[in-house]
Amino acid sequence: MGIFRELRYALRSYLRAPGFAAVAVLTLALGIGGATAIFSVVDGILLRPLPYPEASRLVKLGRTTATGSMDGAFSAADFLDVRREGTSLVHVAGYREDISDLTGVGEPVRVPGVQTTAGFFDALGVTPLAGRVYTAADEARGGMAVISEGLWDRQFGRRSDVVGSQIRVNGIPTTIVGVVSASVRHPIKADLWNLAPGAVPTSPIPSGGLADREVQYFAALARLATGATMGDANAQLQAIGERLGQQFPETNRGESFHVRPLAATLVTDVRAGLLLLLGAVACVLLIACANVAGLMLARGLARRRELAVRAAIGASRWQIARQLMVEGLVLAAAGGAAGLILASWGVDLLVALAPQNLPRLGDIQLDWRVAGVASLATTAVGLLAGLAPVVQSSRPQVNEDLKDGGRTGTSIRTRFRSGLVVAEVALALILMIGAGLMATSLARLRAVDPGFHTTSMAAVDLPVPQSRYDGPAQGRFYSEVLGRLQDSPVTARSALVFPLPLRGSGASAAFDIEGRPSTGRPAQPIAELNIVSPDFFQTMGLRLVRGRGLASTDVEGRPPVVIINERLAREFGSEDPVGRRINLGDWITVVGVVSDARRESLAAAPQPALYLPYQQFVLPYMSLVVRTDASEAAVASAVKSVVRELDPDLPVETVRTIDQIVEASTDQPRFRTTILLAFSFLAVLLAAVGVYGLMSFSVSQRTSEMGVRLALGASPGQVGRLVLRQGLALAGLGVALGLAAAAGGGRLVASLLFDTSATDPAIYAGLAALLLTVAALACYVPARRAMRVDPMRALRAD
Amino acid sequence: MNASAQPLIRLDGIKKVFYTDEVETHALAGIHLEIAQGEYIAIAGPSGCGKSTLLAILGLLDTPTDGTYMLNGHQVANLSLSERARVRNREIGFIFQSFNLIGDLTVFENVELPLIYRGMKAAERRERANAALERVGMAHRSKHLPSQLSGGQQQRVAVARAVAGQPSILLADEPTGNLDSKNGEAVMDLLRELHRAGATICMVTHDPRYAAHADRSVHLFDGRVVEENVGAGV
Repeated sequence: MGIFRELRYALRSYLRAPGFAAVAVLTLALGIGGATAIFSVVDGILLRPLPYPEASRLVKLGRTTATGSMDGAFSAADFLDVRREGTSLVHVAGYREDISDLTGVGEPVRVPGVQTTAGFFDALGVTPLAGRVYTAADEARGGMAVISEGLWDRQFGRRSDVVGSQIRVNGIPTTIVGVVSASVRHPIKADLWNLAPGAVPTSPIPSGGLADREVQYFAALARLATGATMGDANAQLQAIGERLGQQFPETNRGESFHVRPLAATLVTDVRAGLLLLLGAVACVLLIACANVAGLMLARGLARRRELAVRAAIGASRWQIARQLMVEGLVLAAAGGAAGLILASWGVDLLVALAPQNLPRLGDIQLDWRVAGVASLATTAVGLLAGLAPVVQSSRPQVNEDLKDGGRTGTSIRTRFRSGLVVAEVALALILMIGAGLMATSLARLRAVDPGFHTTSMAAVDLPVPQSRYDGPAQGRFYSEVLGRLQDSPVTARSALVFPLPLRGSGASAAFDIEGRPSTGRPAQPIAELNIVSPDFFQTMGLRLVRGRGLASTDVEGRPPVVIINERLAREFGSEDPVGRRINLGDWITVVGVVSDARRESLAAAPQPALYLPYQQFVLPYMSLVVRTDASEAAVASAVKSVVRELDPDLPVETVRTIDQIVEASTDQPRFRTTILLAFSFLAVLLAAVGVYGLMSFSVSQRTSEMGVRLALGASPGQVGRLVLRQGLALAGLGVALGLAAAAGGGRLVASLLFDTSATDPAIYAGLAALLLTVAALACYVPARRAMRVDPMRALRAD
Repeated sequence: MNASAQPLIRLDGIKKVFYTDEVETHALAGIHLEIAQGEYIAIAGPSGCGKSTLLAILGLLDTPTDGTYMLNGHQVANLSLSERARVRNREIGFIFQSFNLIGDLTVFENVELPLIYRGMKAAERRERANAALERVGMAHRSKHLPSQLSGGQQQRVAVARAVAGQPSILLADEPTGNLDSKNGEAVMDLLRELHRAGATICMVTHDPRYAAHADRSVHLFDGRVVEENVGAGV
């Protein structure tokens, strides 16, 4: 019964002080909500185990190249040697993302697919929802697929007879043997896993079959054998690599193999960014805690007379403490509930804002453990701060508080609260600087000239299945598509390219220059490999610097030619590269030099690049680029119409503008910058509330002092400046600490910055000035209040 | 007053020294005082003479530096915090100069509060609180908040709160200090009525007119009793 009464009193007291209650609840909610949402993302991506049994024993195999860089791609022969000799591993499986055109069930549809070797599901330890998964016993049988729960839903309406049904995948008759749950996503959000018809996945380019060590084109995973450790596996794979290096020096010299936990390899690229966000949200949570503590301390101080009255009429310390605890818990419950709502929205918002290539995006869900911890942390801080008046109450204080309402003898708590505000300002500045650096970096990244046209450009991938299109058929198909599109006014300026730039993918090749001794691996120069149609350079806006462009006569059967970029031309020194030959396995003549363009990302400087004519070196993965003022829909319609005429079973993917591709290439930095900016805004807001709260409280506590000063002849301006000075002194101390901490921690974000110094003095100074301005504004209202103190009333009140 | 009966309050050699940095302030310098059951006593003296300090010690809001304090025959000078709270709740009723009603609570809830701290059952609490409000003529305002009352009304509510628990003694610290003369007189009349009904009252005042209402007035100066006038209020 007593608790209900105390609850009622608590609610009533907050209703009578709605400003305090709203700020405290909002602060708690923002702290709890922000921390929970971000940690849920970090947990889903970085911390939660993969959804497979004994997931910690799953490993991804990789190559350490002769230059020391890590690479995840294997050649057929290397893979088979590792699988045979690597006894510390079991279920070694190869896989490669591949287009999967599904026919035989309604409209032809292209789904994200993976071609794997037989041990793939054995390695993951997947139990199917329906049917079975293919196993090592099915090796090299081909014609067998496992589909995802999502595809089962969408394409088959969850039909129970889906297992055993016949479909065509890339034109090949295939039996669906099983369905796996939506949690199985490796290596991408795949909808179809297709059993390779051989011991390794099919090579996308001509290779030497199972004995080939040149063409590295697929990934591999495995499970640690019983009793084997990661160290055992690495030692064994390194030994295998060394042996192969000696046995096959031309291809394997200096290379070795390694394993890494599968989960870690999925998140390598995003780890630093996510940890940065986690640090940022920790700052916000700390600021929220400091703010709640400050608010509760102030409320406690302001209520000292009331608490003294309660003590005077016989309340024990426990009875007073209980009332305060109930009040604190009411606040915490309201803040916690609001925080959970914010967290729930926040997780949805973060998932929606997150780049679609963020790994394990589907594993993100609201983390109740974090919500609980964040709620407990802020609640504990609020309760402790709220209980301070009881904990500190001493015999003489009750009497004093009854007389002066607790306006004296509070220096320790005021100093503590000042310390909290200093900490809040420092943390806010650290966040602001982090966000400022990221925003500057992003702006500079987006201002980078990629070296090609980005506006009025559309692009669409046009891969064709190798099973239905052999090399010559690929060339014919692409040539026909290009010709028909160029006949249409909407798509007259079209060209073919592999790969589309700024999507982080592509091929590269080692080469030798004619007349120079071949250094062999690993010192051999490497260039980006591009396959293009003759109109590519003009369509994309690359300048011809020297020689000629590609011609329609550069076709199969004619002498092979290549265009190089300026960066690669520098490899020739003062010699003119035009007319010289380079060796890519075969000798190819350089016929022209074009301007540099960025291919991998905006952040990566242009690399040496080779442009080969598609009619001499065709790949089944060409994309189409179109320079046009027409809409994407118009381009899509034209492309679909042409493709349907040529191959009704070939689905056409979404048409996107090059601007969208450029934009998407900065998705990850933009995502973390947006969140950091939001958090830094929040931090500044909370810090401003902290400064305002402290100064307001200070003015209310010093009303009589202000009255005395005014009575003694101080001008209102002098009194106002006194308040302003006090507030700015605290903010200044916070800013100094924040600057020092940000400079010290700058190296932690340096790897995420583009063309921006982690200790850029202009950013530091500008944001420090901005924060001091905000602090001055936060002091303004209390200062105005101090200036308007009526000396007579103030002195009478004393 | 029954001379043979044990006094309700007995102070022997009560001293109070405040220490601040390098300064010692002797607020009370050996007070001997007895207050009998049913007595109405005024403690008077100029500002700074120690009368509020003495009242704080009498009300167990403060502890003496030296001396003994017997309340109802029990030594109470050095009780623990929780014991002091219990004694305050059951034996002492406070009336403050600035009323000290709790703004978030209604008139009734303010009066009921010490009874809640005592752990009294709800029905009895309600009965006692209503009776106390009736006694001071404020029952019709029981659902109002203190801010909706005049100063005089607030002080009457404070008196109701002080008497609701039927304490052994009422301690009033300048109860008219924040009131105009009319309301001040009304409060003094109320205290006189309570006294006639048997209440023991100890009132601090610096106003000789109000001190004259008491049975006995004790004059303090520099922390000592310098004069006692008996029978002033009779």
